[in-house]
Formats: sequence, structure tokens, C-alpha cells
Amino acid sequence: MGKIKVKRKSTLIDMTAMSDVTVLLLTFFMLTSTFLQKEPTQVVTPPSVSTQKIQMSNVAQVLVATSEDDKDTPKVYLSVTGEANPDIPEDNPGAWGSENLRKEILKNAVALYMEAGGKDPGITNDDIEKFAKVATFGVPISKMHEFFSLDQTKQDEWLSDLDRADSGIPLVNYLATKELDASGNPVKTNEFQIWMRAIFNATPYDEALQTLNFKMRKTGEGIAVKADRGTSFNTVNKVLENLRTIKMNKFTVMTALKSENE
Amino acid sequence: MAQIEQSDGGKKKKGAQKKMHIHVDFTPMVDMNMLLITFFMLCTTMIKSQTLSIALPAPPDPNQERTQDNSETVAETKAITLIIDSERDKDGNIVTDADGNPNDVVYYYFGFEPTIDENKNVIFGGEGFKVDNTVKAEKFIGNDGSATQGIRRVLHDRNAQVLEKLESYKDQWRRGKITEEEFQNIAREVRNDSTFTTRPQVTVKATPQASWQSVISALDEMQINQISQYRIGSFTPTDSLLIVDYKRRNPAE
Repeated sequence: MGKIKVKRKSTLIDMTAMSDVTVLLLTFFMLTSTFLQKEPTQVVTPPSVSTQKIQMSNVAQVLVATSEDDKDTPKVYLSVTGEANPDIPEDNPGAWGSENLRKEILKNAVALYMEAGGKDPGITNDDIEKFAKVATFGVPISKMHEFFSLDQTKQDEWLSDLDRADSGIPLVNYLATKELDASGNPVKTNEFQIWMRAIFNATPYDEALQTLNFKMRKTGEGIAVKADRGTSFNTVNKVLENLRTIKMNKFTVMTALKSENE
Repeated sequence: MAQIEQSDGGKKKKGAQKKMHIHVDFTPMVDMNMLLITFFMLCTTMIKSQTLSIALPAPPDPNQERTQDNSETVAETKAITLIIDSERDKDGNIVTDADGNPNDVVYYYFGFEPTIDENKNVIFGGEGFKVDNTVKAEKFIGNDGSATQGIRRVLHDRNAQVLEKLESYKDQWRRGKITEEEFQNIAREVRNDSTFTTRPQVTVKATPQASWQSVISALDEMQINQISQYRIGSFTPTDSLLIVDYKRRNPAE
């Protein structure tokens, strides 16, 4: 009897093709992705029928959050995005990318803060470099130096801890501008207004470049207010009133798309 | 594919090396790629959020004598005031219905603000008032098929002239006769056409507990109903009295 020869088949599967496909997919995702921005707190924006697209460059986002215990006091965080593809980085602030723009903003803000009677916050060049790298900021100017001396994880913890009194940009009017009101008293201001002015002053008014200044003054697209759908209007309105006070009464609010059958 | 064969041309030479199979196993590579893909898929935001433009009235000039807050004159026959309120439980969370929609109530009245007497009673109407300014309440319930309902129906009926005129253009746009851009331009013109006598002027107010979402919903209704004249007003003690009065007159079933 001859032995029946069982042909032995190799169980090896050639994975090269599979690898090709996955690399292609990976490339696609890497190129199309925009990362979720790290934010101090997660907010769910309200649905709206508006189909206006969010600005991707030259925009200042105002995040309005509240702590669990005190839902009436808004906590404000800012993030500024400059030109996506900065081409004339040196001599034209209107075409600056995010990092250069943020450096300018911090310098402006500190100058305005000291002009309004704030104490020198002692911000070093090192702090300015670090400030240029962070997307979202929101601590009182007086604590800025302390904030940037901490490491990344500690900074994130500080910002996300909404129960902390020194997390978020203060909306308390304790500073005074040089302007005088009708009765001759100096107009009161706060750090949030100072930041918004600093952002506004950082770029020139230029329609062709669609600078941040242009978008804030003319179309209102330069300011995006982001608040949770459950936050009471009263709380959000405190921030909106602050914007109105400094003549930034045109702005956009961030919403989620809602389909509406007509 | 993943192996490299060293061919010897079919002939065996003396001293020639043995035929070699170099096989590279790509399985770990695929594993790693899959992990990376998963990471990118989870981290990306495919949906970009939308924005809604808001224009608040310009701040009062500090150098000028402060005049009355409601200095803007609104024609009685055109005026509509909406007061938005959200129901909240005792923890401050918004009460939602079975579908997860918030229980927002919109109180509204036409014409002038009802007067309050010294005993804090609300008096509707009055001498020379042309419009019935009784406070009523509606909800944001959108459409039922093609019929509007809730607060949308109220606003829709008030702005019927504009909407009727736009309807024919909308039809042309749907049939592809005019582009969307053309339609939007026409819509803007029609919205701002002052020859329409019943074009409403809406004031949107919100109670302190009203949610941000409910205010955005109200502004949405303006867009849906092509209302060009609206503003966000501030909530006054009179408004809260109106709500209390409404609730007394219409106790919840």
C-alpha cells in the first residue's frame, strides 16, 4: 500500500496587501484630521439651523463655562488662532500665524493691564514663549508667571479645575481705564475686556488679508462665543454684555447643526 | 509577494548556494497600522461646528446723557415680545420631555407692554391701544409635516406677507431656475422691504433661568420665519410679573 500523500498547505497569509490598504487609510486620516482642541471643560453647543461655517483662521474663541457650585458666574477661557499659512511673518502682523500673534497679544494685554492700574505681573520672555504655544488660556494676569512655571499636566489641572477661584479670566470690574464717563469718573474695566482689546489691537485692519481686527470690527466673525446649551442665558449674557461694553457688539456664537424640515 | 526568491536560472551549478526564501511577515505591521487608524479615527472631528451671527445694539455713549432704555420706537401694530423660559428642576438641571427636548416655554404678547398697577396687578389693553396685548404662551415644537405649529405658527402668521412672497422664489430655487445665492439675495431684499405693513418687530427676552439653547432656538425661529427686525432685550421685573400673572390665569393641567 502506498501512502496517501496529503499535500501540506502553508497557513501563512500574505499580509502585504493588507498592509498597503491600512497605510493608505492611515495617510488619509492623518491628512484630513484636525485634532480636538484641548479645552478646560467639555461643552455641548446648542443646536441651530444656521449653516454658517466656523472660521478656521484669525478667530478668537470665547469659551464660557460654569462651575458645579456656582452656575451664575461665568468662567471665561480664550483661545486665539492666527493665519493658518503665515507667509509674511515678520513685518506684517496681519498675516501672522498663531504663535507670533499670541506673543503680541500677551505683550499688549500686559501693557493695558498696567496702564489700567494693575501691578507688574513680572512676565518673562520665557513665559511669552510658553504662552505662544498654548491653545487655550484662562488665568488672572497676576498669576500668569506662576502658571507658566508649572509643568504641562499641572497647567491643565489648573485650567480644568473650575472650582478654583483663579481658573478663568476674571470678569470683576476692578481696573480703571483712562477714559472718563459722563460724571468724570474713570470707566471701570476688567481683565476679560483687556484681553479682548489686546487681541483686537494685535492686528491691523485689512480687508484683503481678512485679519482678526477686520473680522472683529466688520463682520463679527472674529469672535466665536462657545457656551453649553444648558447654561442659563443670564450667565452667558454677562459675557455678552462685556463684549458690548467694549463695542464688540457683533459676534458669532458656536452652534451644532440641526436639520429642520421645512 | 513578501518573499524574495533567489532564482538560479533553473540550472544547478556546482557549489551554487541553496535557493533561499526570504519571507517578511507583515502581520505586526498591519496590527500597528490598525491601532494608529483607530487612534486617528477617534481623535478627529469630522463635523465642524456651525456659527450663528448675533448683533447686539451698540453700547450707550458714556458722554451722552443717558436716555430711557427702550428709546427705540416700535410700532404697536408690529411689535411682538417673546419672553423665553426654561423649566429647571431644583438642582438647576433642565427638564426635558420624553424625546429629550427641553421644556421651554415662550410667553408672548403683541403691541405695547401691559401695564402694572400699584397692587402689582396686570392690566391688559388700555386707552388708545389698538392691539390686544394679552400674554399667551407657546412652545418650540417646530413643524408637523408642512404645517407650522407652536411659536413658529404665531411668527409665521405675523410675517405672512414676506413669507408668501418668498414662497414663489423658493419654488424657483428648488426647481433649479435660480441659484441659492440668488435666492438668498432676493430673500434679504424681501425681508427688509419696508412696504410690507405687517412685518413684525420682535423683542426677545429671556428669564434668568432660561437656557442658552432656548435663546438660540428663538433666534432660529427668526431665521426660519425670515424676520429681519429683532433684538435681544433685557428682562425686567414687569416681565416676571407677567409670567406670574399668566400662570395664575392658566394653572397647569
